[in-house]
Amino acid sequence: MLRFTARRLLMLVPILFGVVTVTFFLMYVMPGDPVLALAGERYDEETLESLRKEYGLDKPLHLQYVDYLSRLARFDLGRSFITGRPVSESIAERFPRTMLLALSAMAIAVIAGVLTGGLSAWGRYPWLGKTLMGLSLAGVSIPVFWLGLLLIHLFSIKLGIFPPSGYGGGSIRYLVLPALTLSFASMATIARVTRSGFLEAGAGDFVRTARAKGLAESKVIGKHVFRNALIPVVTIVGTDFGSYLSGSVLTETIFGWPGLGRFIVQAIMKRDFPVIQGSILFMAVMFVLVNLLVDLSYGMIDPRVREKEGPG
Amino acid sequence: MASITLSIRRFIDRRLVPFLCPVLLLVVVTLAGSCSSEVQLPVIRLALQTEPTTADPVFAVDVSSGMLVSLIHQTLVCFDDDGRITPDLAESWELYPDGLTYVFKLGESGFADGSPVRASDVVFSLRRLLDPATLSPRWWVLEPVLGAKKYHSGGPFDEASISAPDDVTVVIRLERPTAHFLSLLSMPSASIVSYEMVAAAGKEYGRTPGGSGPWKLTRWSSGDELTLERNIYSSVKNVDVDGISLRIIPEPMTRIAEFEIGNIDILEVPRAELERWKSAGPALMEREELSVVYIGLNNSRPPFDDPRVRRAMNMAVDIETIIARVLFGAGRKAYGSIPPGLKGGQRGSDLYPYNPEKAAGLLAEAGYPDGFEVEIWQRENPEAGRILESVQAYLSRVGIKVKIVTREWGAFKQAVDHGSPDAFYLDWYADYPDAENFLMPLFHSSNRGGGGNRVLYSDSFVDSLLDAASSIADADKRLLVYMGVESTVYEDAPWIFLWFPVRYEVVSYRLKGYSIPVIFNSRRFTDISIR
Repeated sequence: MLRFTARRLLMLVPILFGVVTVTFFLMYVMPGDPVLALAGERYDEETLESLRKEYGLDKPLHLQYVDYLSRLARFDLGRSFITGRPVSESIAERFPRTMLLALSAMAIAVIAGVLTGGLSAWGRYPWLGKTLMGLSLAGVSIPVFWLGLLLIHLFSIKLGIFPPSGYGGGSIRYLVLPALTLSFASMATIARVTRSGFLEAGAGDFVRTARAKGLAESKVIGKHVFRNALIPVVTIVGTDFGSYLSGSVLTETIFGWPGLGRFIVQAIMKRDFPVIQGSILFMAVMFVLVNLLVDLSYGMIDPRVREKEGPG
Repeated sequence: MASITLSIRRFIDRRLVPFLCPVLLLVVVTLAGSCSSEVQLPVIRLALQTEPTTADPVFAVDVSSGMLVSLIHQTLVCFDDDGRITPDLAESWELYPDGLTYVFKLGESGFADGSPVRASDVVFSLRRLLDPATLSPRWWVLEPVLGAKKYHSGGPFDEASISAPDDVTVVIRLERPTAHFLSLLSMPSASIVSYEMVAAAGKEYGRTPGGSGPWKLTRWSSGDELTLERNIYSSVKNVDVDGISLRIIPEPMTRIAEFEIGNIDILEVPRAELERWKSAGPALMEREELSVVYIGLNNSRPPFDDPRVRRAMNMAVDIETIIARVLFGAGRKAYGSIPPGLKGGQRGSDLYPYNPEKAAGLLAEAGYPDGFEVEIWQRENPEAGRILESVQAYLSRVGIKVKIVTREWGAFKQAVDHGSPDAFYLDWYADYPDAENFLMPLFHSSNRGGGGNRVLYSDSFVDSLLDAASSIADADKRLLVYMGVESTVYEDAPWIFLWFPVRYEVVSYRLKGYSIPVIFNSRRFTDISIR
């Protein structure tokens, strides 16, 4: 397990190098000029030139790339062209908020998704299963934007329970609606996957064997059915959580949530190169780490994976 | 299958129900606790669509930043709600008969740290704006100052151009008489900062400013909220509330929800929502904005290098109907570029009433009897899309096939500033309430491209009139010249002149004394009280 982890961590280096290089050159391929956002209206060419010089944008591209790599090697993400703030400072301010939203959304999605999936696999009331699966189909299909506005209308304007937007210093009241909105699509997918996982694993030979050897029913479900049904759920959690951590632009925009997603989109709009590069690099690290955790958790859930990875 | 469903049922009954009960109880308690309403403090609560990028006057180029700078800082003179020049830091001023020397007498005021504003701070601030090392994109605000251009290009600073003979007197000498110089001094870029505070904060001044304006910034939570408190040392009085909260809420529907439940005090009503707000809720306030919306036509190459084609474009589009149907009446058809809210604005008559037959005739005369194909560029914006689709339909009736090209702002601006598109949909907002602020940047040939004249219009007669007008001291005579320029340009039709937008706002019942100012940087929230 330790070797496996070390190998995966080592793989981070070429992946991040690739991300850094592709992001850097993409900046220069896409249309738009960073100094135009800085200059605003009524500028002259002389002003643009001096701004380009100040930010090193007048140097040949390969020199800019080398400069960028050498700064990265010193763990310096640079300063925003637009605000002048260090990029790392902005990420440090925004990331905990994104993390809070992502964790809450994932918690809601997993709890509600697994429950719904489990309940619908429960054959006592067939109508319940069908209704829940119908709802989850709706959940996958509803656009986030519409759902967010609907929740604001219901819970903020009509019922007055939750505030429509803002961060509120991380208060739970401000968190509920954005977390619920963000969780919806994952929740629905998890529910569908859990249901099929339960039904499939429940019909497996090993469950019949477990039951035949006289194992208590709760253990059959908890230890055999549940764990086997969980593997595809963990995969979904990993992918979705990884993308939540890089910010969820739509949810953050609707609810005025000051997370990473909006921050990056604004930077892209203004061609704020250091912010775009720094944030994408950070997101890539997060994504790779979350995926590593997911792979490690397979081993905990499924002994077959553990055995395969263990000695090697 | 029967056994598996039985197992799950047992599992749920025995394990999950005992677990779920406390969880549900917790949720109910949380919800109940959160039902209590917000405590309402004597603070003005506002929502901004975009976050300011800086509070440093020399780097503020967008509206949000300009507004923040104006709340925190003072300028020598400023605009009142109706756009007239009034004293700010300077109690009085005098222009010598040569039209070149201004003498300002400062009143008493203090920066947020309690230190008094001295004339040397004024000299420092204005020189800082011009200093090439500062790299301010707005240095042109002080371009009329003696030797400013030379200094900004790396020459020596002329100590006589901006000087402080004593602690309360500032003398500014100009290169040439400039009638709108006081308007330029009222811009946020010309705000006065404290030498000590700027020296101490360095690059961080934009996040930790401390001017002598009525408010001081106490908290800036990125992407979330800015909190301002009263600056007790400022000479700006009539401040009756404790502070201002500026929340960043990008989505208009969310801002409406916040206003509806009483969490924000002033709401700009989106045009699509006008009908609803006209019939219900608090009284709707309106103000004609100092801005103009147009479709720019690239005057430098065919087909729009021919004024007949440009006039035909103006006549082929039924602008009145678009205003009524797409803008819900929130605009007035433009007969030129100077908004009706300004002296000299909208004085003439409509030269281009909707007349597709006449438009087709003009096109045939210009050699385009079957029309032509043209791209109209727009930045991403749903309303602009609806407007351009209407324009597209009207133009197709005279044989002009329009392709609408949508680009996000960065790519759009770069293309338009370089004169790439044949036509583009854009607007222009005043920095200061003066006809000069429309005609000079938009139509003087020296401002082609990023200077504002993006249609690359060039007319030596217009140039010479504009050059002459800015040095005419007599306001009425100057206005006459501007009106002459306006009618020449309107006849030349470098744009499809669309409309002057009207801004609608609603104000919460608790706010008293608010009116919509004519220009964004005079918005200081000082004469407001809270019930």
